[in-house]
Amino acid sequence: MADNIQMDYLNPKEVIRLYGTCLELVPTDPNFHDISIGLYVKDQVFTIWTFSRKSGASGRIETIRNQLVKLGGMIANPNAHNQAYFDCGDLHVRATRFLIAQAVGKAKEYSRPSGDMSIKDSKTDLIIKLSGSDEGERYAYKVHTEGEAANPSLRLRMIIAGFIRYGEMEKSGEDEVCFPCGSRHDNLMRLLLPYSRNVSAVENMMESEAMRGQMTTSTLGFTPPT
Amino acid sequence: MPLVETMTSKERVMNALAGRPVDRTPVANPTNVSTVELMDLVDAPFPDACRDAELAARLAATGHTELGFDAVAPYFTIIQESSALGCEMQWEGKDNWPTVRMYNPIWKGIEDINIPHGFLNHRDNLAITDSIKLLKEEFGNEVAIIGKTMGPWTLAYHVFGVERFLLMTVDDPDMVKRGLDKMKEISVLFGEAQIEAGADVLTFPDHATGDLVSGAYYKEFLLDLHQEMAERFNVPLILHICGRTLDRLDYIAQTGMDCFHFDSRNDPQEAMDIADGRIRLVGNLNNPELLYSKGPKEVREAVNKCLDAGVDLIAPECAIPLATKLENLIEIPNAVRAWFDQN
Repeated sequence: MADNIQMDYLNPKEVIRLYGTCLELVPTDPNFHDISIGLYVKDQVFTIWTFSRKSGASGRIETIRNQLVKLGGMIANPNAHNQAYFDCGDLHVRATRFLIAQAVGKAKEYSRPSGDMSIKDSKTDLIIKLSGSDEGERYAYKVHTEGEAANPSLRLRMIIAGFIRYGEMEKSGEDEVCFPCGSRHDNLMRLLLPYSRNVSAVENMMESEAMRGQMTTSTLGFTPPT
Repeated sequence: MPLVETMTSKERVMNALAGRPVDRTPVANPTNVSTVELMDLVDAPFPDACRDAELAARLAATGHTELGFDAVAPYFTIIQESSALGCEMQWEGKDNWPTVRMYNPIWKGIEDINIPHGFLNHRDNLAITDSIKLLKEEFGNEVAIIGKTMGPWTLAYHVFGVERFLLMTVDDPDMVKRGLDKMKEISVLFGEAQIEAGADVLTFPDHATGDLVSGAYYKEFLLDLHQEMAERFNVPLILHICGRTLDRLDYIAQTGMDCFHFDSRNDPQEAMDIADGRIRLVGNLNNPELLYSKGPKEVREAVNKCLDAGVDLIAPECAIPLATKLENLIEIPNAVRAWFDQN
């Protein structure tokens, strides 16, 4: 695990050497002077990093790290204000990308509702519910729905496909999914639940975010008509 | 045998542009390599860094000091002159490109073409010329300084609107040619100001891209004009046209310009074969699917493909996405050195 090194004077090459590859780059932090936030990973340890030297940036980084812990169930590195990891040792790459976006984008007071893991479906009147169970070698999450809809079994299959897509999960039964590490990750399931119910909207959102900041042949420096 | 570098970055770039021998292929982006992380590193965020000379110079310098490229280029966008001409601008924020509001063009016909009084002293043009002076002070003859002046075809998109301008080329091609002839003086004026400020090279973007017009259009409207530009400027010119350009590369090779900055939609070997030594090529690493989305391993493979084809200078295909990860950019010069170590 990398030591807690004074952030302010590292150049990009040193950051890459110390903290590894950049898993995700959030271009602007709406909650702190629009600084960029990078999530670097090395030896299964995530490091939250900014090159900004604005006063208070270090504290903001610690706040984001704490949000990774609160919203994603990571373990904070007690020796570094900007590091955390999953106790299973896995990276959960796709889920972690959503996680860092929320940790940066949401207000620091934000926390997800506790209690039952459930949410209203975005396309029907169904309520989507998750229930976890320890099955010995792995912890599995059963996905089920409550309420009336035209074809609930089809919706269920689509929602499970969403978990497989965005959580890189595996099907472990008819209506069950589990993480590749086999561990229990309730916080990640709560994180993924809203994304998994609406894959097409999430894909559009991700495509739109990816296009921001790209100069393309079709724009050539023009503001597209609205 | 390990590579031994014997040239300064500037010597390497200037030699490559002239077709002379180099110790290794230079890495020099003619457009932009700034990212949001580099903006934070030197506290020079967009859009301020596009409008303030000191910020522009600081941000441009990181292309050499942090990424290891052989050139620096402080003109990040393609809209500085258009702003000075009076186009309505949308400056956006740190993570997006400033743009011209195309739905509200400032000129209707060629009779409207004029160079406003104080054009070179407009803050958005001074940001470029003054930043070049600052970079010259900082880097002297160690690093190539690349300026940029937009060609008349691109300026026409901005001042007339894309659709209207393209319709004008159909309705009255002779009028358009007269208009381009007038507008090229804007390119010359701003380019010469940058040379006087210390630019070693000029990029000349003129987006007669394959996505919008044919190769025959390039020949009809721009070949002669680009030949004239090559004669009038006394520094090497890098023509930049995005998109598919193989169908016009033979014409481009006849311009007399020193180099052509080409897009990843053109195969490097095919492009080199068509250029056939008549013009040098710089490029053509893909932005959205490679530098933005993939990792250093894939970047190295793409660099190797360009070097295997003999591409003269290695660079991203165009201005890089502002959220590009630095490890991918740092990998470009690393990959070039590794290729020369092995070849």
